[in-house]
Amino acid sequence: MASLPSIPGELASADVASGVVRLTVREELYPLDAVFAAAFTFIKDCWVVVDRADAAHWAIALTPKAAGASAELLEQWVGGFANELLACAYRHRLAKDHRATVEAVTAAALAGALGPPSLDELEDFDFSNEAFEDPLGIAMSWEDKYGKKAKAGDAAPAGSTDDDDGGAP
Amino acid sequence: MIELRLHKDVYDGAAVDAAMKQFGRYARLTARDEASHWVVQIEATTPARARTVAGELGNAALGGSTKARPAVQP
Repeated sequence: MASLPSIPGELASADVASGVVRLTVREELYPLDAVFAAAFTFIKDCWVVVDRADAAHWAIALTPKAAGASAELLEQWVGGFANELLACAYRHRLAKDHRATVEAVTAAALAGALGPPSLDELEDFDFSNEAFEDPLGIAMSWEDKYGKKAKAGDAAPAGSTDDDDGGAP
Repeated sequence: MIELRLHKDVYDGAAVDAAMKQFGRYARLTARDEASHWVVQIEATTPARARTVAGELGNAALGGSTKARPAVQP
């Protein structure tokens, strides 16, 4: 096993005779999902084997399928893999952090795609549900605050224009 | 003969079985279950063929294990 000039020896080493390059990464920084995603992009051109180096590290062996790999070529492959792995780890972290947001936006989009509710659905909808708790009674509907106060036994005013008051024709 | 050692933390057993079934017609494959690894022995007519089968089998098992994993959990 030979070390590669551009990559620290404790991270990567190459076996030029066998055409294999090995990369060791920390599991804390590169979760297995990120390693899988990066490996998946390389399986067309390389044989990829992922192993556990120890309790805290993954060991990834890349073997280019094309015969006659030189040290420079192996270095390019492992460098490309390391870059892809970093990108995949970052995407994995973003997906994990913003999962709730993505789900909320997707749910809102799907709800909007269903279209406006029909008249039957509106008729069945229960509008009496309180939107939020209001223990101090601050929130008040317009009707409660400014609406006409019906008194018991009062007749409807003569000039009333309400539709439901049975006004004279 | 080539021995391919696939760690159980990484590779799904069903995916390894499926890969062995897929490549069983290209080489003689023998599986062994160790404490931490699935071990697949590959015997083919030529060393180059065994190397190719081992590599492709490893890739297939890796791809199958990727599909077998659950989605990202928060």
